[in-house]
Amino acid sequence: MQTVTRTAAHGPATASEPFLVIDGVTKVYPTPTGPYTVLDGIDLEVAEGEFVCVIGHSGCGKSTLLDMVSGFREPTSGEVRVQGERIRDPGPERMVVFQNYSLLPWLSARDNIALAVNNVFPHLKRNGQARTIVDSHLEMVGLSEAAHKKPASLSGGMKQRVSIARALALQPKLLILDEPFGALDPITREELQEELLRIWADQKVTVLMITHDIDEALFLADRVVLMTNGPAATIGEILPLPFPRPRERARLMEMPEYYDLRNHALDFLFRRYAHDVD
Amino acid sequence: MPSLFTVDHVTQAFPLRDGGTYVALRDIFLDIAEGEFLSLVGHSGCGKSTLLNLLAGLSQATEGGILMNGREITDPGPDRMVVFQNYSLLPWKTVRQNIALAVDNVFPTKPLAERGSIVEHHIQMVGLKPAADKYPRELSGGMKQRVAIARALALRPKLLLLDEPFGALDALTRGNLQQQLMRICEDAGVTTVMVTHAVDEALLLSDRVVLMTNGPEAHIGQILEVPLSRPRSQLTAAEDPSYYSLRAEMVGFLNDQRRARQQRIKPAAAIAANGLEKVNLSIGFIPLTDCAPLVVAREKGFFLRHGLEQVELRREANWKTLENHVRQGVLDAAQMVAGLPYAMTLGLRGQEPLAMATALTLSRNGNAITLHRRFHEAGVSEAAGLKRWITAHPEKRLVFAMVHPASMHNLILRAWLASAGIDPDRDVELIVIPPPQMVATLRAGTIDGFCVGEPWNTRAVREGIGTVIATDTELWNGHSEKVLGVRQEWAGAYPRTHEALVLALLEACRWCDQPENRQELSEMLASPEFVGADPATLSPALVGPFDRGLGQPMADPAMFRFHDGGANAPDRGDAIWILTQLARWGLCSFPDDWEQVADQVQLRELYQRVAEASGSAEALANPVPSLIQLFGSDCLDPSDPVAYLRAHAHPGARALR
Repeated sequence: MQTVTRTAAHGPATASEPFLVIDGVTKVYPTPTGPYTVLDGIDLEVAEGEFVCVIGHSGCGKSTLLDMVSGFREPTSGEVRVQGERIRDPGPERMVVFQNYSLLPWLSARDNIALAVNNVFPHLKRNGQARTIVDSHLEMVGLSEAAHKKPASLSGGMKQRVSIARALALQPKLLILDEPFGALDPITREELQEELLRIWADQKVTVLMITHDIDEALFLADRVVLMTNGPAATIGEILPLPFPRPRERARLMEMPEYYDLRNHALDFLFRRYAHDVD
Repeated sequence: MPSLFTVDHVTQAFPLRDGGTYVALRDIFLDIAEGEFLSLVGHSGCGKSTLLNLLAGLSQATEGGILMNGREITDPGPDRMVVFQNYSLLPWKTVRQNIALAVDNVFPTKPLAERGSIVEHHIQMVGLKPAADKYPRELSGGMKQRVAIARALALRPKLLLLDEPFGALDALTRGNLQQQLMRICEDAGVTTVMVTHAVDEALLLSDRVVLMTNGPEAHIGQILEVPLSRPRSQLTAAEDPSYYSLRAEMVGFLNDQRRARQQRIKPAAAIAANGLEKVNLSIGFIPLTDCAPLVVAREKGFFLRHGLEQVELRREANWKTLENHVRQGVLDAAQMVAGLPYAMTLGLRGQEPLAMATALTLSRNGNAITLHRRFHEAGVSEAAGLKRWITAHPEKRLVFAMVHPASMHNLILRAWLASAGIDPDRDVELIVIPPPQMVATLRAGTIDGFCVGEPWNTRAVREGIGTVIATDTELWNGHSEKVLGVRQEWAGAYPRTHEALVLALLEACRWCDQPENRQELSEMLASPEFVGADPATLSPALVGPFDRGLGQPMADPAMFRFHDGGANAPDRGDAIWILTQLARWGLCSFPDDWEQVADQVQLRELYQRVAEASGSAEALANPVPSLIQLFGSDCLDPSDPVAYLRAHAHPGARALR
C-alpha cells in the first residue's frame, strides 16, 4: 500500500494518489462544557469507481464525515482530497443524496432535475442539450412516464429515484449517499439497491454511502467501513467483500462467506461496539 | 400451553364503493398460547394489520370470530393493548403523565398510591427513570416507543399487540430496542402479537412466525416455529446453526410473494407441440453435483431432441422451497431427495398429503458424512469411535446437520449413528441446513458434522475444516439418491410429455456416466447458473481422486452413479426401505397399504417402456432384493417391513397404523 505523506496534500495531485483520500481527519465542536470530539483521526482511501459503505450506530459521526467529504463542513485537523485537490466547499463533482429526498415540492420530477442541470451547466440550456441530459436521467431511473408529476404524487421510492437522477445528471465524480433507502419499505429498498448497482456499474461513479443496514452494505459495497461509537469515533475495521459482480441477491445468500461476514459485522456492532443509548 | 386466543376461521371483507366487496383475509385459523410471542409477517397489503385490529376488537370479522379463553371478543378493551408505529403520546404531557393518564382511566378505583407505584414500576421496566419528567419532543424515537410500550403494559393487558413498533427507526437502533422489548415481554410474561416486515426482528423475538400471503384473500401461507434457545440476542441468534436456515425460509417465502405480486405469475399455461401435451417446463433443482442430469439434458440438447422446446431449470434455495413450488404447480417436475415423493404422498409430520410419482432415479450415491477436523485429531475414525467420544463427553450434545427430513442424508445418517448405539434423537441433535450453508456453519463451530452431497464435503476438506468419516460407498453403495419427482396429477395430465422428459433425462444420465465426459461435466456444473463452485471442488468426486482430508486422496469410481449398473430404474427395495425408515424415526406413519404406496409412487412400467425405447442395456427393473443390509447389523427384509419396525422402531415413533 502506498503511504500518503502530508506534503502530497499541499502539492499538485500525484499520479498515484487514490481518488478520494480522507487524511487524518478529526472534527471537534466547541460546546459550553468544553470541546467535543466527534471524529478522531479518520484515515480512508477510496479508489476511483469503488463502492464503499460506512456503517455504525447513530451518533458515530458518519454524517459529519460525509459532510466533510461533500464540503459542507471543514475538518478541525487533517483534510479530505479528491483527485489530489483539497476539499473546502461543496461542488457539483460531489453530489449528495439524503434520506429525505430534498426535492422542491412545487416542481415536477423533470423540473427538479432540470433546475439543477441548468444551474450547473448554464451553457447547455441554450443548445437544448440540457433537455437531453434530463430525459436520459429520468429514463435511467425508470421515471420517464412520471416526469410531469410533483413530489406529492410520487411514492417514497420514486422520490428517491428523482434525487438519484438529479445527483447523477450533474455528472459527479463522487456520489455521496446518506442512508438513501432508510425510509423505504423492504421491497422498494431492495429494488432500489439493485437499480443503484446497475447505475453505478454503467456510470462508473465512485460511491460513498452511509447505511445502518448490514445486509444492504454486504449487497452493495466493495468494502464496508465499520465505525466505533462516539465521542471520538474512529474507523474500527474495514471489511473487503469477496463477492463477485454482477451480484445477485439469492446467489449471495448461498455463499458461506456471506454469513461469516454478516456475523462478523453483527459481532462488531452488537458486542464489541454495542450501543445502549437509543 | 393452553391457547389463550383463537382466531377461529376468520374472513374479513370490506364493501367497495362500486357495490362489490374486497376480501382482505380468507379463513384464518390460529391458536395463540398464553405467554407466546407471535409475529405476523408479510408484504404490505397482506392483511396483517387487519388481523391485528380484529384481535384488538377494533373491528369485527365478517365470518368466524376471535375467542379469548373461549369467549368471543366483540369490542376493544384494556386487556388487549395496541402499540402503533407513531407512538401516539400526548405531546403536552411528560413521560410519567402520559402513563399515569392511562392508568387513572383504566383503574379509577385503585388507591392513588397503588396507581402511582404501577406507573413507577413500568417507567423503571423500560429503563426511562431518568427521563420520566421529559416531554415527548425531548425524547428520541426509540425512547418514545418505550413510553408507548410502558403505557400499554401498565394496564396489565392479557395481550400486547405491536403494529410495526420500530418501523420508524434505523436498523441498528431497532436492534437495541428489540433486545429491550424481548426482556420486557419476558419479565411481564405477556402474550404478544407483533406485525413486522423485518425478517431478523421476527426471528429474534418470536416463538412462532406466521407468514401471510398477499391480499386480496390473504391467508396463512406458512407457520414457522423458531426453536432458538432463550435468552436470545442478535448475536447468539445469528450464531445458532438453524438461524440462517430459518431466515432463508422466510426470505424465500417473501420473495415468492413479491414475485407473485409483481408478475402475477400463475403456473405457465401448457404449450402443446411436437406430439406432446406440454413442451414448456419448469424443472427445479438444488445446486449440487448431482443436479448433473438436468444440466446435461439442457446443455447437450437432450430435452430439445425429444421435443421439449422450452425447459427452464429453476435453481431453488433449499429443499423446502422446492417442495412448496412443486405443491403450488410453479414447477412441473423437480430433482428430489429420494424420500421426498414418499413423504409428500404420506404427509410428512402432519403436512397435507399430495400424491407424487417418480419414474426415474437420477443418481445413486454421492453423499458423505463429514465431521469437524478435531474428531479425527481425537482419534475418531468410524461410528464406534464417535460413540466412545460421546460416552466420554456426556456434557456435550453434538449437533449434526442434514438437508431435509426425508432425504437419504437424514435416513442414512440416522441408521449409521444407530448402528453404533448412538440414538439420533436423544444422544445427538439433528438439524436441517441448506447444503450451501453447511461449510460456513461447520466453520462457525455451531455444528459438529453433517451428511450432505457433493461438492460440500470436498469444500470442507479443502478448507481444512472437516474430514470425511464415511462416504456412500461404505454407507450403502448403490442407494437411490436423487429422483425425478412429479405430481401424480401432473403425470396423468401430461403422459407423453412425462415420457419424453424421462427419456431425455435417461440419455443425459448415460452421458454423465461416460468417463470421458466427467471432466467436461465438472466444468459445466461449475457455472454460477448451476452449482457455482470452483471446478477443482467438483472434480474430485466426479473424476477422482477423492480427498477425505486424511492423507493420500483415493480413487472412488462409485462416488457417483448416474446410469451404469441399472442405476436409473425406480427400485422397489429402495421404496420399502425409505417407507420403513420414515416410520422408524417417527417422520410419517407406516401405511397399511405400503406395497400399494410403493407401487403407486414408482412408475416402473413407464420407466421400463422408456428404457427399452432408448435401447438401454440395463432396461430391466431391478428385482426386489432379498435383503437390504446396512452396517452388518441393520437388516431389512423388504417383504416384511412390519417385522423390521417391531424390532427397530424408535420409541419416539408414532404407533403403527
